[in-house]
Amino acid sequence: MRTILSGVCALALTASLSMGTAVAGTKIGAIFDLTGGLNIYGIQQNNALQLAVEEINANGGVLGEPIEVISYDAQSELSKYTQFANTAILRDKITALFAGLTSSSREAIRPIVRKANIPYFYSSLYEGGACDKVTFVTGSSASQQMSKLIEWGVSTYGPKIYIMAPDYNFGTISAHWVHEYATRNGGEVVGEDFLPLTVSDYAPTLQKIQAAKPDFVVALPVGANQTGFLEQFAAAGLKDRIGIVSTNYGSGNQQVVVSPQAGKGIIASAGYFMEVANDQNAEFVKKWQAKYGTDTPIVSGAVDVWNAVHLWALAVNKANSSETEAVINALESGLTFDAPNGKVSLDSKSHHLNQNIYIAEGNEDHGFDILVTFTDVPAVFEADKCNLVKDPGLAEHFTPES
Amino acid sequence: MDYFATVLISSLSSASILLIATLGLAVVFGLMGVINLAHGEFIMMGAYSALTATQLGIPFILAIPVAVLVTMIFGALVEIIIIRRLYGRLFDTMLATWGLSLALYQGAVLIFGSVSPGIGMPQINFNVGDYTLAAYPIFMILVAVVMLAGIYVLLTRTVYGMKARAAIQVPDMARAIGIDSARTNTLTFAIGCGLAGFAGAILLPIVPATPSMGFAFVIKAFLTVVIAGPVTLAGSALAAIGVGTGASIVASFMTSVAGDLFFFILTVVLLRLYPLGVSAKWRMKL
Amino acid sequence: MKHNLTTAEKIHGSIGISAPAIAVVIALGISGLLDPYLAYVASLWVIYGLLGMSLDLVWGRGGVLSLGQTAFYGLGGYFGSVVAINFSDLTGNSLIWALPTGAVCGALSAAVIGYLIFYARTGPLQTTILTYTFTILLWTLSQSFKITIGEAKIGGDNGMANIPGMILAFGKDAAALEPNAMFATVVVISAVIYFAVRMLMSGPFGRVIDCIRIDGEKTELLGYDIRKYQLQNFMIAGAIAGIAGALFAAWSNYLNPSIFSVQEALMVPIYVLVGGAGTLSGAFIGSVLIGGLSFWLGGGAISGQTTLILGLVLIVLVVFLKNGILGALNSLWLRFLPDRNRAVNSIKPVTIDASVVENILADAEIAAGPPKSLETKNATKAFGGVIPVNNVSLKFEPGLPHSVIGPNGAGKSSFLKVCVGMYPPDSGDVLLGGENVSHSPIFQCVAKGLGVKNQKPQVFGELSIFENLWTAAFSMTRDKNKANQIANQILTMLGMHEQGNVEASALSHGQQQWLDIGMVLCLTPRTILFDEPAAGMTNEETRELSHLVRILAKKTTVLVVEHDMEFVRTLEGMVTVLHQGAFFAKGDIVKLRADDRVLDIYLGRRAHVQSI
Repeated sequence: MRTILSGVCALALTASLSMGTAVAGTKIGAIFDLTGGLNIYGIQQNNALQLAVEEINANGGVLGEPIEVISYDAQSELSKYTQFANTAILRDKITALFAGLTSSSREAIRPIVRKANIPYFYSSLYEGGACDKVTFVTGSSASQQMSKLIEWGVSTYGPKIYIMAPDYNFGTISAHWVHEYATRNGGEVVGEDFLPLTVSDYAPTLQKIQAAKPDFVVALPVGANQTGFLEQFAAAGLKDRIGIVSTNYGSGNQQVVVSPQAGKGIIASAGYFMEVANDQNAEFVKKWQAKYGTDTPIVSGAVDVWNAVHLWALAVNKANSSETEAVINALESGLTFDAPNGKVSLDSKSHHLNQNIYIAEGNEDHGFDILVTFTDVPAVFEADKCNLVKDPGLAEHFTPES
Repeated sequence: MDYFATVLISSLSSASILLIATLGLAVVFGLMGVINLAHGEFIMMGAYSALTATQLGIPFILAIPVAVLVTMIFGALVEIIIIRRLYGRLFDTMLATWGLSLALYQGAVLIFGSVSPGIGMPQINFNVGDYTLAAYPIFMILVAVVMLAGIYVLLTRTVYGMKARAAIQVPDMARAIGIDSARTNTLTFAIGCGLAGFAGAILLPIVPATPSMGFAFVIKAFLTVVIAGPVTLAGSALAAIGVGTGASIVASFMTSVAGDLFFFILTVVLLRLYPLGVSAKWRMKL
Repeated sequence: MKHNLTTAEKIHGSIGISAPAIAVVIALGISGLLDPYLAYVASLWVIYGLLGMSLDLVWGRGGVLSLGQTAFYGLGGYFGSVVAINFSDLTGNSLIWALPTGAVCGALSAAVIGYLIFYARTGPLQTTILTYTFTILLWTLSQSFKITIGEAKIGGDNGMANIPGMILAFGKDAAALEPNAMFATVVVISAVIYFAVRMLMSGPFGRVIDCIRIDGEKTELLGYDIRKYQLQNFMIAGAIAGIAGALFAAWSNYLNPSIFSVQEALMVPIYVLVGGAGTLSGAFIGSVLIGGLSFWLGGGAISGQTTLILGLVLIVLVVFLKNGILGALNSLWLRFLPDRNRAVNSIKPVTIDASVVENILADAEIAAGPPKSLETKNATKAFGGVIPVNNVSLKFEPGLPHSVIGPNGAGKSSFLKVCVGMYPPDSGDVLLGGENVSHSPIFQCVAKGLGVKNQKPQVFGELSIFENLWTAAFSMTRDKNKANQIANQILTMLGMHEQGNVEASALSHGQQQWLDIGMVLCLTPRTILFDEPAAGMTNEETRELSHLVRILAKKTTVLVVEHDMEFVRTLEGMVTVLHQGAFFAKGDIVKLRADDRVLDIYLGRRAHVQSI
């Protein structure tokens, strides 16, 4: 009984799914979490991709033809990434893949794109270390952000640092870089707490912070959990005494959720804030809001996707081909792009972006005021470990020795 | 010493928050034998109702009853449309309510978007030695006590309460003397959902409204009710305070992850020792 | 017994074999023709089906909803992959490493959890929660768990990469299977497991598991150690989940803690429920349908609303398809078949033929030895302030039936439960044939020759009459043919040999009482305890019962707890009176009827009671 149905289903699916694939042009695949717990990020990533493709197509597309997007909803479920990545490659015959938010989604996709030899763009801030010939990372890595943020924090608040990080790779590796850059800048980590992913009560953490008496806290809880912490921190009256800095505050629009009294003065560092002042950003924001409205601020992950699509399009046009090898060669030729977050350049060795890192302070209107801009910051750790020009066979995920 | 005192106070407040989030689930399970896996989403619904009410200019204190009313009405509808058809099928109900939780989550994303502005906590705090504590979470201890007392009065001193208890303890007799168990159950489920809505609203300053907020609560709430066993009200109070405070103290001296692990391991140990829940042999009924 | 099955009924009976067999053949036939992406995606649905089937074993058949199947699945995947990463270079073939390791790992972890659950006798909801807690415990721990074992790197949430695909060939250059061949392989492996499990579950083991689901206490009263059976069943399911996990790892070449997530854990019961619980094959239908639906929705069919639609579909399925798709099809089909229970109306009243019963008893004595006496020494059992069994010392031997009587609340039933091992005595001893069984669990007492018939008829309603008797007989003989023989003997004695195929639930109350008595006799008991056996019987039936008891008492120890004095009188045996938990009087019925004190306690007259 079971597989009769699978057979019938299979046939039905083949029939129904093979209909939409008739248009010519260069196909790219997009797999993001449009539903489920991670869609705070996934919807904007997908929106950015659609917007970028629209713009490129309006300017003549790539190789003189419009780009066609095949879009999938991974439903915040890891095995869907595997399924859709294979479907996009085997059935849709895409020439490039833009996908993933979490590090695990990227790790699930990498073996598939490596085997199929298709350029893959991962566009999210992450803990760093991915190194692979076909993989290109356009978000900022932990070392890239921490190198500037900790230096700034120590000189602004003082040397004593408390770390609160989620108990998984992003958290533990970020914590490693806090230690590293604290030492380099004459700071000191006076305490740390690792949080489960579904935490809502921060009372124990708040006590430990008070007991450790830090000058500032590096707060890295994931997603919506972060806002609860900030509310509780502010209400306990600690904000006047202790600074808070974060590399992921704002990445999911937490500044909208947090109340003004809790959000004012929170320091965030990121590769992009909607408040960045330059012509490209002004134009980008205008286009975005014309299409998607003004309700939700644009997150850095969206710009990372925007940059990824544009860099790929530049590479294809430069190579005059969408063949993998030619595109990768073009991508490794020192491409630069005037992005909403300032000029970005693709490091040919590490496949990461040299980009601006902004340090911004939360204001009373659920937004940010940009305090400092560090231009053209490299992905420190990745540039050090990963040289894909010299060693194209590398397929690694480096983690710092701790 | 100061540290220990603050740990104790705030651990008690953590346990109270857990209890507030659990009571609705406990009432529905205790009186109807139904495990509502969408409980977390009812908390979320309460939070969004209160949030929307405050955005419309209603003061927070009045937004809470609005949230309770909205969730109660929705709960009653859910009972009539879904739960009623599944009486006596515990696991089917669990799966149906899980489907409901998926749908409600996505519904919230559609209506409210993935982020909405929070309302913040009253900036009142007090000192214990060198330590500062926010007042609002500590206030939750009082809220939990009042909630417990309120439910107790509701179930022992009102006509509805007597009918509800009769319907569960001697269902045949209850039917024989003309208690409409269907209507009582609808009301019970609505009250359970209303309690979840109350929790979402009263906790809104501490835990801002997001579509996924229910998930963080529901696992522990669920474990608390099952550890409690058949005497749900007193049992849940004991389980929430015992396990919740314990886990929070562990988290204060070790890491927060250790606190969670302690919670889960203690659950396993307690269920090994009390296969039918800690209250299985108690004489009381509530 | 006779089987007069029509062809339609025969097809219906074997559909669990034939339909899946046809499905497997078709699947293998089209596996080469499928678009590779579809073969790839469909492989996962089959793997999920296998995982679902492992749950169906413990839930649909065993009656215990485990949310720990994904834990065994994940552990099987992780450990299987660690071994495969390190050793598959030696052989080329990766599956011979991954699958056995996955199976062993799944079975062992299931053994640990199963031991906790079944030997503590946790309640059904508590069992679900315990398994669920185990899964989220693993999820929490694995987020930041990092270890390197040989070539395999487990990296917390970033997971374990470089897991070899499904490699069937041997030798250095063996390559991983392409999607179509992988699909065929997954189908073959699942089919082998399905048919093996089906064979197991249609044999004695499956029968006992079914009985435990229907009525655990009665199964134990038939002498089965239900904890052991449940644990074994759980381990088999764990092994299957482990194999599914190893297949999943080879399919995705990657594993990460999300395999232990709550969402994954809750999907498994949904596959089972949609397909039809208890059918084993239903899980595959459920996984293909639900997997296919969410794949199709996620592919942009209805953009961005996947979870909303999935949630609503789930509610509709649960509410309207009570027994899943296969269950609904089955009930539809049954409407067109003749009523299986049609023969129930032609059951004749039971008439006990002394010579038949004596033959059975003679056979029983050859098989199980001489009758055993039952003795209590100062047995006491208290619940709080109430002492329903207070320092009772009694001895019962074969020859004449023994009755224990007393007014309501005298402690008769509690006394019986102490004798059986359902209430272990607080102090004092229970001796069976001179052997102390005070603290032996029920099934051991039964294995030592105790047969118990409780007041309410306890039969397995979903099983046929013959299967009920056979299960009882098999408990003692552990031999299918001997069990057949004994069950047929008793079936004939009960006058139900034409109705062996009728479901026990179709019987009337009195007929169920007789079937229950028949099951007790199938146990070849050396001591028989009857708790109010005549309750709900007609006068004729009561007369036959009395006759039966008297014959039985000649060759076994028979103890009847009863308050029907007239019935006790017809037994013509020894009578013991209990009062307020304690021994009160003893003698034959004539003597006791003349005893004022006995009349006093029955009539509630106080004077004499206080004087003792």
